[in-house]
Amino acid sequence: MEPLVDFLQNTLDGIALGASYALLALGFTLIFGVLRRANLSYGPAIMLGLYVATWAHLHFAHGLAVLFLIALASTVLAGAYVERLCFAPHRGGSAVAAMVASFALWMQLEEIATLALPRHLYEFPALYDGPALSLGPLAVRPEALVMLAAAITVAAALWAILHRTRFGTAVRALIDAPRAAALCGIHAGAVSIQVFALASAIGAIAGFLIVASHAQVTPMLGMWSTLKGMLAMMLGGLGSLPGAVIGGLALGLIEAHSQWYLGPQFRDFVAYLLLFALLALRPPWMSTRSAS
Amino acid sequence: MLSVRDLVTAYGKIEALRGVSLDVAQGSITCLLGPNGAGKTTLMMTLAGILKPRRGRVEFSGRRLDGVAPHRIVASGIALVPENRLVFPNMTVLENLHAGAYQRRGGIEHDIERLFGRFPRLKERAAQPAGTLSGGEQQMLAVARALMSRPSLLLMDEPSLGLAPLVVEEIFKIIAELHRDGATIFLVEQNAHMALKVAQHFYLMEQGRITFSGDPGSLAEDEVIRRAYLGTAR
Repeated sequence: MEPLVDFLQNTLDGIALGASYALLALGFTLIFGVLRRANLSYGPAIMLGLYVATWAHLHFAHGLAVLFLIALASTVLAGAYVERLCFAPHRGGSAVAAMVASFALWMQLEEIATLALPRHLYEFPALYDGPALSLGPLAVRPEALVMLAAAITVAAALWAILHRTRFGTAVRALIDAPRAAALCGIHAGAVSIQVFALASAIGAIAGFLIVASHAQVTPMLGMWSTLKGMLAMMLGGLGSLPGAVIGGLALGLIEAHSQWYLGPQFRDFVAYLLLFALLALRPPWMSTRSAS
Repeated sequence: MLSVRDLVTAYGKIEALRGVSLDVAQGSITCLLGPNGAGKTTLMMTLAGILKPRRGRVEFSGRRLDGVAPHRIVASGIALVPENRLVFPNMTVLENLHAGAYQRRGGIEHDIERLFGRFPRLKERAAQPAGTLSGGEQQMLAVARALMSRPSLLLMDEPSLGLAPLVVEEIFKIIAELHRDGATIFLVEQNAHMALKVAQHFYLMEQGRITFSGDPGSLAEDEVIRRAYLGTAR
């Protein structure tokens, strides 16, 4: 019985962790799918948004709902700033130039956050600070359920936006065939900044729930969010939104299980090893859909 | 209606268009012939705003359009059916049509119904991803998608490319029907036999320049063109 309980508990923890990765990956993938550009400043924009919320919390703001709205608004602004500075000037130009520019902004955003709040760690109001719920022999943290519910809700809302709105038609057309989209009169520049705003909003939801679950925030949130979002996207097949959710959940499960069975030092190692194997073997689902 | 003067478009140092001048009259079907690599697709891409010309003018209904962004060119009433169709493969036929109507607000459903009347095969496949359609069906979808923007000038880049003869005939039947309904069409075509049946004016492009301009009669009389494009000697 014991090994089975361990396995189920790890699976449960992995799904909860994977739900946060899935959210991060949805935002990252949205930008990558539309622009074919890796936005390294994706995580740092989220980090900056959460730092603004933390700063507001230290000075005047109270209540999780207020802090969430502050984090959301400032992440979206930071995301739009990244788009205008790094991606708008390089549209149709060099992908590497845009990526390097987004790396430079990563440094800038991190500097801004750490200049304003120089300590390495700040407390953040906890989403929930009671005991875990017990499900027979298994323990479930309520904030994990919130994370899972948020991931499902965001994925469903994103699906509806992409499939039921004029904006969604433009986004999917740009993902499918950018040149044909231009010929249909879809203005990539106008859609791009909206995509950044939407992706940043999703990232802010993810970042807020992660920070509030841990009841703390550090500058590492930026790099961590970019890495987990990118890794989950790659595991899910580069640029597909359902793949981002699957990749996020897979990454969570891999981390939870390898941490338990192999030890915490193997937690990231196994995920990267798997990514390496996937990149080397290139299974059929692991390919960018043709851009033309 | 469309007037092109001394248009030069280059890829780096290589000039693909080396001073192209031509006119498309309102209500006409004008056809551009020419060998592979002559610059026909470059011209279409430049007219649609995808490529920026280095020099020259494009005027459409009195407005300068050279160097203007593609979405503004669509807004001014020009739509291009691109070479190789370029449908949105992962979107349904219906969604492809909606993408074509991106800049419009009203009357979209009505136009879709009308186009389904003209292209009954697309109606049958409305909910299918466009990537699963046959080549001929994709070509019809590309034409229908371009028509969704209600263009006053339709540009078509080799609509018969890679299609079976029967399908090509169907495409040209549609081109003739569109023309009868008042459309102005500027067509790139290698299939001169088919083009001769519908077009009123021909241009020949070779190595980035216009080397012939005339009506179907003078085209058929030109010995060089006869051999190269109609495959018949006198």
